[in-house]
Amino acid sequence: MKARIFDIKRFAVHDGDGIRTTVFFKGCPLRCVWCHNPEGISFSSELEFNSQRCLGCRECAVVCPLHTFFGGVHEIKREDCVSCGKCVEICPGDCLKIYGQEISPEELLPKLTEDRDFYDNSGGGVTLSGGECLMYPGFCRVLLSELKKEGIHTAVDTCGYVPLESIETVLPFTDVFLYDLKALDEEVHLRCTGGSNKIILENLMYLNSMGAEVEIRVPFVPGYNDGEIEKIAVFLSKLKCVKAVKVLPYHNLAGLKYTALGMKNTLPKRVPTEAELFSARDIMKNHGLTIKE
Amino acid sequence: MFTTLLSDRKHIENKYHIASEPFDPFRRMAYHGVGYDEETGLDDEGIIKGLEAMEKDLSSLPHPVAKAKAVEYVLENNRLYINEHDYFIGMYSLNRLADRVTFSKWEKEALKMRKPELLELYNDFNASGAVSIWPDYDHVVPDWDSLMTLGFPGILERAREYRLKKGALTEEQKAFFDGIEIEYSAIIEFLRRAYRHALTKKHKKAEEVAAALLSLSNGAPKNIYEAMMLIHIYFLVSESIDHFQVRSLGNGLDYTLYPFYSRDLEAGTFTHGEIRELLGYFLLQWSAIGNYWGQPFYLGGTNRDGSTKYNELSADILDVYDALGLYNPKIQIKVNKNTPKEILSKVLEMVRHGVSSFVFCCEPGMIKAVMSYGASYEEALTYDIRGCYETGVRANEVCSASGYINAAKAVEYALSDGYDVLCGKQIGLRTGNIENFVTFEDFYRAVILQWEYLIEKSIEITNDFERFFGFVNPSSMYSATVITSLENSRDGYQGGVKFNNSAMLNCGFASLVDSVMAVREFVYGKKELTLPQLKAVLDNNWEGHELLRLRIKKSSHKYGNGNEMTDLYTEMLGRYFANKVNNRPNARGGVFKAIMHSARQYVVQGNNTPATPDGRKSGEELSKNASPSAGMDKNGVTALLSSVTKINPTLYPESFCLDVFLHPSAVQGEDGIAAMRGIIYTYMQKDGMSLQFNVFSSETLRDAQKNPEKYKNLQVRVCGWNVLWNNLSREEQEMYIRRAENAT
Repeated sequence: MKARIFDIKRFAVHDGDGIRTTVFFKGCPLRCVWCHNPEGISFSSELEFNSQRCLGCRECAVVCPLHTFFGGVHEIKREDCVSCGKCVEICPGDCLKIYGQEISPEELLPKLTEDRDFYDNSGGGVTLSGGECLMYPGFCRVLLSELKKEGIHTAVDTCGYVPLESIETVLPFTDVFLYDLKALDEEVHLRCTGGSNKIILENLMYLNSMGAEVEIRVPFVPGYNDGEIEKIAVFLSKLKCVKAVKVLPYHNLAGLKYTALGMKNTLPKRVPTEAELFSARDIMKNHGLTIKE
Repeated sequence: MFTTLLSDRKHIENKYHIASEPFDPFRRMAYHGVGYDEETGLDDEGIIKGLEAMEKDLSSLPHPVAKAKAVEYVLENNRLYINEHDYFIGMYSLNRLADRVTFSKWEKEALKMRKPELLELYNDFNASGAVSIWPDYDHVVPDWDSLMTLGFPGILERAREYRLKKGALTEEQKAFFDGIEIEYSAIIEFLRRAYRHALTKKHKKAEEVAAALLSLSNGAPKNIYEAMMLIHIYFLVSESIDHFQVRSLGNGLDYTLYPFYSRDLEAGTFTHGEIRELLGYFLLQWSAIGNYWGQPFYLGGTNRDGSTKYNELSADILDVYDALGLYNPKIQIKVNKNTPKEILSKVLEMVRHGVSSFVFCCEPGMIKAVMSYGASYEEALTYDIRGCYETGVRANEVCSASGYINAAKAVEYALSDGYDVLCGKQIGLRTGNIENFVTFEDFYRAVILQWEYLIEKSIEITNDFERFFGFVNPSSMYSATVITSLENSRDGYQGGVKFNNSAMLNCGFASLVDSVMAVREFVYGKKELTLPQLKAVLDNNWEGHELLRLRIKKSSHKYGNGNEMTDLYTEMLGRYFANKVNNRPNARGGVFKAIMHSARQYVVQGNNTPATPDGRKSGEELSKNASPSAGMDKNGVTALLSSVTKINPTLYPESFCLDVFLHPSAVQGEDGIAAMRGIIYTYMQKDGMSLQFNVFSSETLRDAQKNPEKYKNLQVRVCGWNVLWNNLSREEQEMYIRRAENAT
């Protein structure tokens, strides 16, 4: 059994309580316009090329003909790239990177238990994220159950846009769900993410009925879902599974990543002001929700 | 929080130099009291004249007696400061004037008695940056318990009793007790003189100062104000005249002052607010002096019954420190499982807001470390923290920091057959021509032999000069506080205390590991170039080989990143140094202790070290403490901690220090405090000893470099101390920015 991941981040402090290790799975069923992890969208491996960091040394061209330097401009024929990684290895700089690595639970587990002392001493653990980790439900189930055997706290960071069975599969081994909620209005959701929120809300209701522990993440993107905050708050206030809500201010710093991956940059320009953010959090609080900053 | 302190603050800060004028903290001894009464004593010139007049008489006396008389003269003639804006006194001359007729003279005489071949090596080592080595009188802490319960007169009285008990004395023992007699009598007389001067002043504070001085001249301190005044006066006399730095205020400032604190509050001697204000005046004394290394004291600890030593006073000290925004003195925080959460959170809160004057000292590792050279659990439990974060048996250990051994030089000498290019002479061992290093093992052997040579010779050199510690700098003032020294009728710096140790510092360790691994990977593994070719590249400071240099830098075989093979070499090389050093006998009846700490030598020695195989360019700084080379920890703080503690930290009994860089975004909110606490506790669990944070974004530091005027208070943790950002060289600033860039 293998899954494709694109990063293992140690000392992750924003993906649940305490010091955690977060595994980023590759591939996502949604297409949120504000996505700040575009390297997690595609299910295939991808080559990142950050032209600003290129030294112009042409070492890559020696090992791979897809790298060209016509007129001194470093270009890559991406369509033929198989992500073999030879160019990354030879590059003396810091401009090439492969996103996407096949890995089995057995290979992954030791990397996740390595920092267990840090988890124990900070109330942390392991978070599965992405992309969308629940696109690999069987894999996640095996991994999570092994982690639970080790006594490690587990979190699943999901967009919720997955079949109910996927949620059921991991539920017994998941201590907390970090659950995204982007809009309550289906039209708005469709426009922002390319998917309907029906299944997302149903899955959340299911978690609620099962007595799961859920922390809600609301990306706050002015001009897209700022009209949704009140509605989200009303909805969430009725769910006893919601332990906390995190309003995540949208940032537009991921633009370079889009370019580096050869993707079209879909990022909105405007970021929320402190005042907008404050008021969004305030709305949540007014509905009796616990806000995490 | 304060009534008069804030308005008095600038007067105190201008006590020894005008705070608004440029100040060089390295030369702080060259500064003088500002605006002191001329009638209260002589200026430097006058004192020097007086000392020179005494010189002939002194030369016939045993050194402890001669030194005590010189100190006495300076105490009698130093100008005084008693000011309506201050609760503490001041001394005009801080520049160790007595040295002229004692220390400096005897040091020259000792040089003539040292073994010529070792003296030559001593000079070569220092000139080449292979080993920075010198006699060290800067790392001692007196027995503050004795000073607090007896006061200056009681210390003198107790020494007299031991003298009587001893009966017949040798000449040397007589001189030892005479030195104490003269020096403490002189201190008491100094207190009386200051008292009389205070009486001439007609302000409220002078009355209180006078009363405290009178009380201290008659006996032990009776309240917390007098206790603080005693600490301050002991410090001034010892550092500024007696030539011994005082490397901790109190044996735990909170612990030492607590009996007075609770008594005063109960009896109503002072209100809580008054105590906090006095603490502010007290702490500001060291901001006023402003030495480069920062004046240390520590807080907390663990009692015999397992309970914490943190108390309400600890919290008050931190509150006052925070409210005043001080950066000197610097504070060591003893950490254990019993450390109150509020205390730790409070300190972490300050740290993440940029206060870099704290270092966390983990008790479990430190206790084991102290026990590893023969102390009992009880002796180790109450260990002192001295200087930056060095450990030692409380009130019964003299440990010098002697040789700062530059591990990167072992690599340089292995490649050059021991020839030092900088000095143009053979300084290392002859380990053979690199043309003949066919295998990695040949090269590795040469590195080990060179390193061993530097260690062995540093030990020999240290033993050669430490024989003369008592000859050059008798420590009557310090020794009188230590009962063991009195029982032995022997100077603390001559083997008089129970633990008479010397420390050898492992410097540039990560630079060594990374260099060895680079040769292993690129020369003998991938065979990208031969060893002579690499040597040629290094001799040319990588010129024309930038891509190779970058590839080496990018390699995962770097210290502190969780690379298995590199971690194995880290562990074994770390153990090699420790095994070579620990528990070897020194010249004073004690042993050598290894320490993983480089003070400022990572910059100084880096200047003198040519390009190294790890991709470092000639003159760049070396790795510091147990930390990776700048910019080389790429896998985050958990990987760093796990790799570094593969070396058992307690193999470095004098101390083992790690620097952690964190980006401010990583430590926001309550989660951020939990994360920092998690780092400290995990480090503690792995027997780590001291840990210090720098919490900055590279953007902030860049901005600070461009706009120094906006960042007058920005401070960074350098080594065992913190400095203002604007006092760093451009080069040092660049290194900080590089480290901060990795902390995202």
